Formats: sequence, structure tokens, C-alpha cells
Amino acid sequence: MLGFTIKLVDENEEPSKKTVLLSTEKRSDQWSMLLVSVAETRDRRAFSQLFTHFAPLLKSFAQASRHEGWFPGLSEDLVQEVMIKVWQKSASYNPEKASATTWIYTVARNCRIDMLRRKSNTQHLPLENEDFWHEADEETPVSLMRQKRSEDKVQSCLARLPKEQDEILRKVYLEGKSHAEASNELGLPLGTVKSRVRLALQKMQILVAPEFRDEIL
Amino acid sequence: MSTVNHHPESSMLVDFSAGNLATAPSICVSAHLHFCNQCRNELLRLDQVGSNLMSEVEPTEVGEHLFDSVMSQIDQLPESDTAEVSSTSDMADSRYPLLVNKLINGSESVPKWRRLSRWLDVAQVTTGQNEYEVALHKICAGGKTPRHNHGGQEFTVVLKGSFSDEQAVYKEGDFLSCQPGDVHQPLGAQNGECICLSALAAPIELSSPFGFLMKPWLRINPM
Repeated sequence: MLGFTIKLVDENEEPSKKTVLLSTEKRSDQWSMLLVSVAETRDRRAFSQLFTHFAPLLKSFAQASRHEGWFPGLSEDLVQEVMIKVWQKSASYNPEKASATTWIYTVARNCRIDMLRRKSNTQHLPLENEDFWHEADEETPVSLMRQKRSEDKVQSCLARLPKEQDEILRKVYLEGKSHAEASNELGLPLGTVKSRVRLALQKMQILVAPEFRDEIL
Repeated sequence: MSTVNHHPESSMLVDFSAGNLATAPSICVSAHLHFCNQCRNELLRLDQVGSNLMSEVEPTEVGEHLFDSVMSQIDQLPESDTAEVSSTSDMADSRYPLLVNKLINGSESVPKWRRLSRWLDVAQVTTGQNEYEVALHKICAGGKTPRHNHGGQEFTVVLKGSFSDEQAVYKEGDFLSCQPGDVHQPLGAQNGECICLSALAAPIELSSPFGFLMKPWLRINPM
């Protein structure tokens, strides 16, 4: 029990006193509830709480980028752009599908691509970045339980990945390197990079081994 | 129920989820996702990986005026920013992914079908990048397209109807990835025309004896 409590304190960036007593589920839902409140009542207090929690994470995320043409001075621009998008698009957030953290990650990823594209591209692109992630209307949301379970699985597996798998995932997601770029940088064959990522994803049960894929899904 | 059988390989979905996939392949992956429930679920979980990695980083303090700056920008936002694209081209189809319709309707020059052969039409779309040529292909019912080699990588998503090659039958939503050196001859299904979206990295080589006649039209022309 003691171990559990310590883990909660550790993971919790918010200095608040009460949250220590909350279950993991409640705590992660806290951001989702705030986000829903921003969407429904344009709640500025809730937005300010989200800002306090996410802006420093977003800034670090921005600083981790090793994209060509990216420089640290853009980090706060990205934070602003993401938080403004969060305000604007909060109505499209569906808490049954993803946690607020995951949703905000996708907004940040899209803003990062947009900023890079604006910098490098003068040609006309008739698409906005969010068009790439537009969802079909008839989407049936995954059950809250299932979504929660899969988030927990991802989180606990990530923490226990072997170093070489963790290293590549960080390169891909945080530094923004493609598999091919990661393979160049690490001096590893592309096949090795791909299989390390695949192994990590199988552990997190994101990727079903191809031979079972059809049976399960 | 999803009936899609051919999917992008997992490394492509990962790069897509991390935001590292180039524009043209991203267009194809996105079009596939529209049809494929399985990959949409996989993507959702891949996004959780990104979000977990993001929330584990050591937070960096932001400037003290950043919040006020964001709030004042929010106060100046226009009420609504939803500008729907009106469908202007008859090439668009409500069952297509939104992004494909936007490409069709939003291109600087309106895409037009050009005849490549008796069986095959092509319409290029503008995508603002120059690594890949992105185009729609229309294969007539029962149509035979030339047997061709791929000089560079090609991604294809079936938007409507179906076609087959030596390997398999590809139906709505199926995703094909052809590597340099792959040779195939797509054949349109007998029961109706087939429309595909494709992104091609380098010119394809025709391997039939009269293929050279078509070469000028198949030259890569990104726009």
C-alpha cells in the first residue's frame, strides 16, 4: 500500500494535497473533466488549471524536437498555439475515446507539424493538419473501461521497456525522427529499428502479432 | 464491420502517430483510416504512447506572461471558424474520406480526368509538396492496366470499387504499398469502375513492349 501511495505522489505533477488520496483513475479523469468543462461552459478557471499542468509539459515536448528547421525559440510559440487550439477545439474532445492527456498530445503533435510545414512550405496545401486525423462520423467509441485499461497497460509497459526499445520510441515520438532517420542516427539497420518498435508495441498489446491479428480484431 | 484486408505496416502508423510521416504518405494513411476500424483503434493506442512519453518529460517552466498572452489571443478569436468546403467537383464523393474531397475541391487547379489508356484515367491533385505525385486513378470495369515496375515507393488506397493484381484482390479501404522493383498488373473488377488514390515517389517503369508509348504521361509531376 505504501508503494502505491508513493507512486501516486511521484507521478503527480500537481502539488495539490487532496489528489494523493484519489485513485489513479480519478486523478487521470481530473484533466478530462476540466477539459469537458472548458468545452461546455467555456470555463476559464478550468482552462487555467489545464494550462498550469500542461503548458510546462508542452514546452518540454517542444524542446525535445530535433526536426530540421526547429529551434528552441519556437517552444513557447508552440505552447501558445496548442493551448489556443485546446480552447477552440475542446468541443470536439470526446472523453469516452481518449483521456485529456492523449487528446492534448494529438493537438500538440498536429500543431508541431503545422508549424514545421508553414516554415518549410510555400506551396499551397488545401488541407489543414487536423484533416489528416478527421474521424468518420459513425465512429463507435471504445468503452471507457477498455480505453482506461489500454492506457494503463501502455503506461505500465512503457516504464518497463528495455533501454534499446525505450530509446527508439523516444526518438520517434519526442525528437520527431522517422524510423529511417532513427536507424541512420543509431547506426542500426532499418529492420532492427522496426522490430524493436514492434516488440515494444506487442508488449503494450497495441500491436497484435500478425498471426493472431485476424482472430482478435 | 470493417472488411478491409490490407493495411499499412505498423511502422507507418507509428510514424503517422508521432507526426513524422511525410505529407503524401500521410494522405494515404489517413484515407485508409477512414475505412479501417482496426487501424483507427491501433492509432488511438499509439497516440497513448506519445501522450505518455510527453507527460513523462521533466516539465519546463513557461514565461510568466504566457497565460495572459494566450487569454488575450483567445479573447480576439472570431466566434466560429468552421468553414465547410462546398462540393464543387463531381469527382468528389460523400463516401470518400473528407481529406480526399478537400484535396479534390481545394486544389489550386481543379483536378480533371486525363485518359492514359482505354482502361485507365488519372487526375492529379495539388498537395503542396514535391516528394510524391498524388493522384486519383480510375480503372474501368474489367479494365487492364499496363504491367509496370516501380522505380520508387508507391502507396495506394482503394476509394471505390475493387481491382486485383497477381497477389490479391483489393477492395474499398485496402492499402497497398509497392516497393521499388515490384512489378504488377492491376485489373479492374468486372462489376464496376475502381477509383484509387495513390502517392508515387518516382516514375514507374512499364514492362510491356508497348509501354514506352505511355511513358510521357506517367512521368512524375508533383504539385
